Amino acid sequence: MTALEAGLLGQLLLLVLAVAAALLTPTRWRSRVSGTVCTLLATAGVVTGAIALSGGTGSLTIPTALPLDPLVLSPDKLGGLVMIVVSAVGALAALFGIGSARVASASRTAWLSMAVFLFGMQLVPAATDVVSFLLLWEIMTLGSTALLLAHHATRGTVASALVWYSAMSQLSFFFVLAGFAMLAGLAGGTGFDLLATVDPFSWQASVAFLLLLLGFGGKAELVPLHVWVPRVLPEAPGHVAAAMSGAMVNIGVYGALLVFVRMLPNGPAWWGVLIMALGGVSALYGILQASVASNLKVLLAYSTTENMGLVFLGLGASVLLRADNATAAADAALVAALLLMLSHAAFKSTLFLGAGAVARAAGEMNLDRLGGLGSRMPWTAGAFGAAAMGAAALPVTSGFVAEWMLLQALIHGSRVDGEVVSVAASVAMPLAVAVIALTAGLALLTFVKAYGIAFLARPRSPQAEQAREVPVIMRIPLVIGALLVVGLGLLPGPLAVAIGGAVGPEFTPDVRIIGLAGVDARGIDAVLDPTTFVVLAGLLLAPVLIAVFVSARRHPTRISPLPWAGGGSRLRPRMQYTATSYAEPLVRVFDDVLRPSRDVEVTHVGESRYLVERVHVEQTVSDVVETRLYRPVLNLLQRFGILARRAQNGSIHRYLSYSFVALLSVLIVVSL
Amino acid sequence: MFTTIYPQLIGLCTGALLLTSALMVWRHSLLASIRLLSVQGVALAALVAVIGVEEGEVEVILVSVLVLLVKGVALPWVLARETHATTRTDEAPRLNPTAALLTVALLTILSYVVASRLLAGDTSVSAHAAPIGLAMVLIGFLLLITRRQAGSQLIGFLVLDNGIATVAFLTSGGVPLFLELGISLDVLLVVVILYVFAGRMRTKFGNTEIDQLRKLHD
Repeated sequence: MTALEAGLLGQLLLLVLAVAAALLTPTRWRSRVSGTVCTLLATAGVVTGAIALSGGTGSLTIPTALPLDPLVLSPDKLGGLVMIVVSAVGALAALFGIGSARVASASRTAWLSMAVFLFGMQLVPAATDVVSFLLLWEIMTLGSTALLLAHHATRGTVASALVWYSAMSQLSFFFVLAGFAMLAGLAGGTGFDLLATVDPFSWQASVAFLLLLLGFGGKAELVPLHVWVPRVLPEAPGHVAAAMSGAMVNIGVYGALLVFVRMLPNGPAWWGVLIMALGGVSALYGILQASVASNLKVLLAYSTTENMGLVFLGLGASVLLRADNATAAADAALVAALLLMLSHAAFKSTLFLGAGAVARAAGEMNLDRLGGLGSRMPWTAGAFGAAAMGAAALPVTSGFVAEWMLLQALIHGSRVDGEVVSVAASVAMPLAVAVIALTAGLALLTFVKAYGIAFLARPRSPQAEQAREVPVIMRIPLVIGALLVVGLGLLPGPLAVAIGGAVGPEFTPDVRIIGLAGVDARGIDAVLDPTTFVVLAGLLLAPVLIAVFVSARRHPTRISPLPWAGGGSRLRPRMQYTATSYAEPLVRVFDDVLRPSRDVEVTHVGESRYLVERVHVEQTVSDVVETRLYRPVLNLLQRFGILARRAQNGSIHRYLSYSFVALLSVLIVVSL
Repeated sequence: MFTTIYPQLIGLCTGALLLTSALMVWRHSLLASIRLLSVQGVALAALVAVIGVEEGEVEVILVSVLVLLVKGVALPWVLARETHATTRTDEAPRLNPTAALLTVALLTILSYVVASRLLAGDTSVSAHAAPIGLAMVLIGFLLLITRRQAGSQLIGFLVLDNGIATVAFLTSGGVPLFLELGISLDVLLVVVILYVFAGRMRTKFGNTEIDQLRKLHD
């Protein structure tokens, strides 16, 4: 038995153990025991992934009672990389869950489905054929659905969110199934190595491409299949949302990688253009919605759509450039997309865990009612701040490295040796750069809002004022997450080399380590060494900072009343910016896209027209895709549903008559 | 000796089966239907026995005893016991007797037409009688969709099951003993469950009209 086989078997055994722990331990100990076993399960995933990434081989064969081939699990290097990412996020989430899970989220169902969810998610990248891939995919989806269902009893809104989630995940499952079926029909088998023999220029391959893009895009929360995200994630507790938004979306990306890297690596150029368009629209739409959202979890959920949009933008650029024979830039774009996926997993899980900590401490997710948490919850604030910097792609975080690499690939991509590679590329690349620039700007604004309004200034509600720091067991994953965000940003060189090894042998990105763990992408002449930069900046800044501190000690600070407070400090929390007012200029600029609805209610004092007693302003931004695309379709379906209800009126006699008529018709047809 | 009267015996048994089925459609009283069902069970057992003697197989004769016990005695007894225990309500079917008998005739014709297509070329005696089994299936179905009471529905279901058994015995010379044992136990179980269910219905609604069952409840 090789190390890889032992790792896979270990995950299977730990799943059994986790199920037993969830079912058998009494309520008082359940979260601790189950959470620990789930963390171990996810850690086993990290180890297995690392073995696979470092070149370990081996396979686990699971015989089934179905008339199919046995399921063979054997992750390759790319699968190993994705397995590490999702398992690491899963481990953080489970660890956080030990402390944060209460009442419904500490129930048997919740911990049981958490274990199943983690298991399915970790092993999807190990699948070697379509059947086991889809089976594990469904285990993952069902696990997450049951996990959300555990909260059904406490909140009424969960039910409607779950209906959306189930419908959308089944829709994307259907697309994936149909796409794979198309390819399998063409290849004559369901093994991934067999599917790789399909000619990407046949029309069947193009149909399969469209179906698979929609299916995997739906899992990766891309527009227009993202509608479940802003409904489901706010209903989920912090650690569940972290596992879904930080880890599960990566499975969608993995599916896309499987198609564009493993099976159909040399597709036509229009595939690339289409993926780029889908990614670009998702990125812009996601960040726009995030920037105006005032619920912290909704904001984070839409930000996931944005980041996944950027990942697909990179993937699309890679496909397009490869079709145009600009291989070096194509490889760099692919590495950038994977870097972005990695960094997104790190910062988004930390952000959602931070949101979970805030929800526990203040019991409030509306940014307009938060504030001043920085001094009350310093650990959470620090971790959330570091992750928010990553999400805003500021330097020395992982987000910055990924977006920098993507921009480099796009800028250098449209020309090889000074020659334009193709018209499509020379139009698409500058547009993509513009999209990324706008997205980066809006992301900065969004996360300044998220951090500034929630953690700085004065509390805007009594709940926020009484918030206390979360227990140590919940701080640990937060701190690990924040360290990962910064660490991945400081070590881009080894990371890029690992990714470069994982996407081979079809893709061979020419990336090397330079300086102190810096990255040197030789194909596109781009060098970045953040660690050296930080060390040099530290050396230069140290004397200045010391001088500043010394002089500050000599001159004690004077506290002067604020000039605009009329000589006295009568500042009230209500005088501060709120999330809504901060985003107000943006809402004005993008009024046509966002279409907000405002409700202003003025109560006058007595009969007076000029004296106002109370003004109530409410602004809601609805999802345009939902109201314009899904509502009409749903209304149409509902009309058919009413018709169908007449045929299905619940009478047993009527149902029996249907089968009788069917039987008679069959007999009559036979006798004709 | 036996070979000469074999076709006539087959004809007699299958004729009894068809006659009892048609009478069940005609009669509305639940008790009368149960008696007819008992007669039908005996006829089916006789049919199986005749086939067994003709083929000289002991196993098939054992099956005929089993059929006699389950379909001729046990099932009617269970049904009658339950019906005696309750106030008797006569059935008010959705189809009047004339129309129902006419439908039975049409269904029988249809099954002969279908069977002539399916079994074309097979000139054996039992193949000639097979359409009766098909007709019984269709008549059982007709009973299912026209009767309102749970008890009558059950009788329709049993006629349907008898029809399937008849087709099986006539076309393939019967099924193995074990299989027959399993099927008989299944049917017995279904009947018991449905009767418990009917009892629950009666305590809940005061009668067993299945039109009441239109909505799902937790």
